[in-house]
Amino acid sequence: MVRTVYSPEYCLQYLEQYASQEVYVIGLILGQVTNSRENVIHLARTPEEKTDTSSEASYTSEKPEARRSLLGISETWVADHAKHVTRMLPGGMFVQGIFITSDEDIFEDPNFYSKVKSVLNYTYKSLNANQYMCGNYPDSNEKLILHMCTSTKVLTCKSIELGTGSKMSIKPVDWKFLPKPQQWQRLDCYYEFDDVYPVVVKKSGISVKHQFQQILESAHKTIESSVMFIDGELKDGSEALEQLHKKKKLKNSTKSSQDAPKSMHVSLFVPFENCLPETVEYLECDGNIHFSGVVASSVFMYPKATVSEAISAVKQDIIRSLASRFTMHCDALIDDNLLPEEKVCFNEPPRRVLVPVGSLYLCDYLFPGEAPAEALLSVKELLDLQITEADVVCDIETPADTSEFDALDRDTSSEELLATPQEASQFMYITGICFAMLVLIVSIFIHYYDGIATCLGNFFSRA
Amino acid sequence: MSPRLKISKYVIERLLKSETCESTGCLYGLMYDGTLLVVGFSLEFFENEKKSYSQLLLNLPAEVELCGVAKFSDTPNLESKPKEILQDVDITDNPLFLTIDKEKEIKAHFLVHEKFEETQYDIFESEDLWKQFIHVRLNTVLPLTCEATIAGVKNVLQTKRKKIASGQVSFQIHGTSIYLFGIASDVGVSGTSTEANIGDLVDSWIPEQSSKKKKYHINNIEPVPVNLVMKATKDILSDKLVKTAVKMMTTQRKPAFCISMPLRIDTLAMIHRNTKLSELYNVLVEATCRSLKLLESILIEQLGQEGIGDGAGLRLPETFHYMPPTVGHFITRIVPKGIPDESMEKERKLLHEQLDLPLARPIFRRGNAYIFNSAKLINPHEAIPPQNKANVSVVTVRGKYTYYHYMQDNFNDDGWGCAYRSMQTIFSWFKHQGYSTVEVPTHKEIQQCLVTIGDKPSTFLGSKQWIGSTEVMFCLDTLLGVQSRILFANTGTELQTYTPELIHHFEQHGSPIMIGGGVLAHTIIGIEYNEDKNETRYLILDPHYTGGDEIQTVISKGWCGWKTSDFWNKTAHYNLCLPQTKPAI
Repeated sequence: MVRTVYSPEYCLQYLEQYASQEVYVIGLILGQVTNSRENVIHLARTPEEKTDTSSEASYTSEKPEARRSLLGISETWVADHAKHVTRMLPGGMFVQGIFITSDEDIFEDPNFYSKVKSVLNYTYKSLNANQYMCGNYPDSNEKLILHMCTSTKVLTCKSIELGTGSKMSIKPVDWKFLPKPQQWQRLDCYYEFDDVYPVVVKKSGISVKHQFQQILESAHKTIESSVMFIDGELKDGSEALEQLHKKKKLKNSTKSSQDAPKSMHVSLFVPFENCLPETVEYLECDGNIHFSGVVASSVFMYPKATVSEAISAVKQDIIRSLASRFTMHCDALIDDNLLPEEKVCFNEPPRRVLVPVGSLYLCDYLFPGEAPAEALLSVKELLDLQITEADVVCDIETPADTSEFDALDRDTSSEELLATPQEASQFMYITGICFAMLVLIVSIFIHYYDGIATCLGNFFSRA
Repeated sequence: MSPRLKISKYVIERLLKSETCESTGCLYGLMYDGTLLVVGFSLEFFENEKKSYSQLLLNLPAEVELCGVAKFSDTPNLESKPKEILQDVDITDNPLFLTIDKEKEIKAHFLVHEKFEETQYDIFESEDLWKQFIHVRLNTVLPLTCEATIAGVKNVLQTKRKKIASGQVSFQIHGTSIYLFGIASDVGVSGTSTEANIGDLVDSWIPEQSSKKKKYHINNIEPVPVNLVMKATKDILSDKLVKTAVKMMTTQRKPAFCISMPLRIDTLAMIHRNTKLSELYNVLVEATCRSLKLLESILIEQLGQEGIGDGAGLRLPETFHYMPPTVGHFITRIVPKGIPDESMEKERKLLHEQLDLPLARPIFRRGNAYIFNSAKLINPHEAIPPQNKANVSVVTVRGKYTYYHYMQDNFNDDGWGCAYRSMQTIFSWFKHQGYSTVEVPTHKEIQQCLVTIGDKPSTFLGSKQWIGSTEVMFCLDTLLGVQSRILFANTGTELQTYTPELIHHFEQHGSPIMIGGGVLAHTIIGIEYNEDKNETRYLILDPHYTGGDEIQTVISKGWCGWKTSDFWNKTAHYNLCLPQTKPAI
């Protein structure tokens, strides 16, 4: 049976538009594979490689010329794009392959074909580099190649098996466009962390990255072992999600059956750990770590997908989101030392926001202090989509309340208490009032500047 | 309105038999179906201003609470001591006051508006207690990491208790898809109807056909196993939902020490069969919290000790459940792992005294712990229907033993291993009575022991040679330090003259007797003497049984049963090994 992929219709226009405008375009195919159907959710053009302006070498005559051809594409650039886009995908969705619009027949011309294979291989490997990113669909190594010929606008799709060495089998794929937007079953949950770990500093010191990695490892183990309930009930893994709704409707048949499927609420239960060593560990430590807060998870499934497919998507989502935040946070760190000079150190990774893509939501991450508008940039750059600031759902998670941090800080270093909570807030209050007064005076001054100036002028001239 | 009152037969008997010189005791009971059932009793010494009952309560199954006072006097009165106890009764508004007068008559009173009202009570028969009440056993491991100080342990465990009490846990009935969980202030049940009760659930596990077929059964308590699962997600619909994104805070503190260990929770609850599964949630929360409090007290006690003050020598707490035959309810103890029973005698003595138990033999050592789900049969003779005859005195083995016989553990000893098996049965008795923590030896280990002490040549190792009573005596002495008395009988008929000795043995020591000699070896686990007919019958546990550990076969085919003196060969000689016990706690 030929593998069939279903895609929203706007993807066709998207391809045609590039096919008529540009010599060639490469991009990523984003989608979801379930046993019942394979859906593409979006095509995202890989942004044009930025030339390094600081380096003179990039201004050589051949380079721009070479980049005019598909053969000049940097594999690492595409792989990097795939890595960044994966961060934006909810669990259960993957970079399924690449699309190319070009004049050449990439499947026939050996040069182009080997270039395409090499791009896919690079992407595959780079997505596999961090297991917690869940970059590649775990049950199959096949990636899609979608090609639109710029001259004929003929669309060809094939799948290629990766990671099998030199023998890569290539198979035809039936690419179908859906006239109607695909319905999705949304599943939501808030996964909560509240763990205290001791910090044990080895001679080499301990980095934030290292600590995050440990948290990720233990979270992964815990989440994988957990039991998932949907809407407060343990469901049969083989049942289709839409079936759950139908059953519910039968129960309360008074409600109209035309209701759009509502979001399902997911709860995860962690069974007890039985693999702990049967000993008391006694360690000299240098303090402790309190890792707390939530990961908001929203997963979108094809309604005919099974409960167990949904379960693995939710689990993937939490881990992927955690891994994404940690990577982004560590990449932005200046000081990677977990125990700097300060008594208390606070690491606040970026928080998750949702961004609409078609009929579902992907996500993005905002660093503390960043405005929702920042998400527009990454959506434009990485997903090649134009959205407005109002589209960004930024209240699924809230940034850490620094007063909470202050409270904890005081808690832990009570001996060196600088200000009691009341004093602190009073201080803040007074500072606030003073600042407001200052602003008021300045603004009054500016507003009546002319008046005051003439007045003063008069006064001085009189004197 | 005062509840109806029932008192467990065990409590009645303990109160009547008590020879204590203390005057005040505490009563423990549970409520079901508008009835207060008294299941436990302890003496209160009022030492050091400490209320020992509030600590003892942690050792009892969840649902069993303080319910009143027992006083060895003629009339109830509100002296300061009983009053103090009565004030702590939460389970009912009308605490119970039992009086036991000099004529051993027990009267019950409820305290209603500061006045005593005498009330009628029913006695709850022992068998009914085990039929109508079900035990639930919750097992889980919580990782515990905290600062190695008393305050550190207290804080962390308090946080854990708070989490558990605030609905952040669910319970799974082990091996089923039934989950109980707390939603806000409500309780949910998944996997079965909310109206289902625990008794019906337990019955549904027993295949109907076999329950009819089963003629004989040992009164073994099989608790309903429950797992605890932590809820890792927040309730989306809750208005208290805090959505702060994940963050990490590092606090420096030098030098600091921390401990990290798996906290193994193993706790029981005692509930009536008609308890609904939805009601079970809160019972299990209470059981978990009780266990955590008990664990906390054990850890803090250790941290407070000299030398362990910094936590370096802290030992893992281990939980044991005990069901002393006369007590009639479980008592859970947690002891530090690896500390020998001998060095914890003081604590055990206190518990014996509190529960008004004899000080002559161990009851709360590790080995005494109740054996749940044993693969081998334990005390099969208890399945034999009792026969009450006049002028017949019966004494049987005291406490538990494991039935060892041919072919067990995939080891073929058919035809030669009977004395070894009999010895294993005796050995298991010493283990279950808490006298020893040594594992029951294998045939090879028994042979090795005899070679080591020079009784047998080294060729004996791995052979199929028989052993007799004297070898059993040697092994018990070497491996357990147990002395034995050996009796000789020239013929099977002569054996009858030893009846008074055997009766005395079971009364005094209560251990199984190995009998061997010219013929096959057997284990004697009881004796019956009929004065009218001058006849002796022996309760025999036959090690020659080669079948599976199936109580129906063992009893119906007589592998464990009463034998007349004709059982013994008239012409063969016999010798008996009577293992002796020493007083200990």
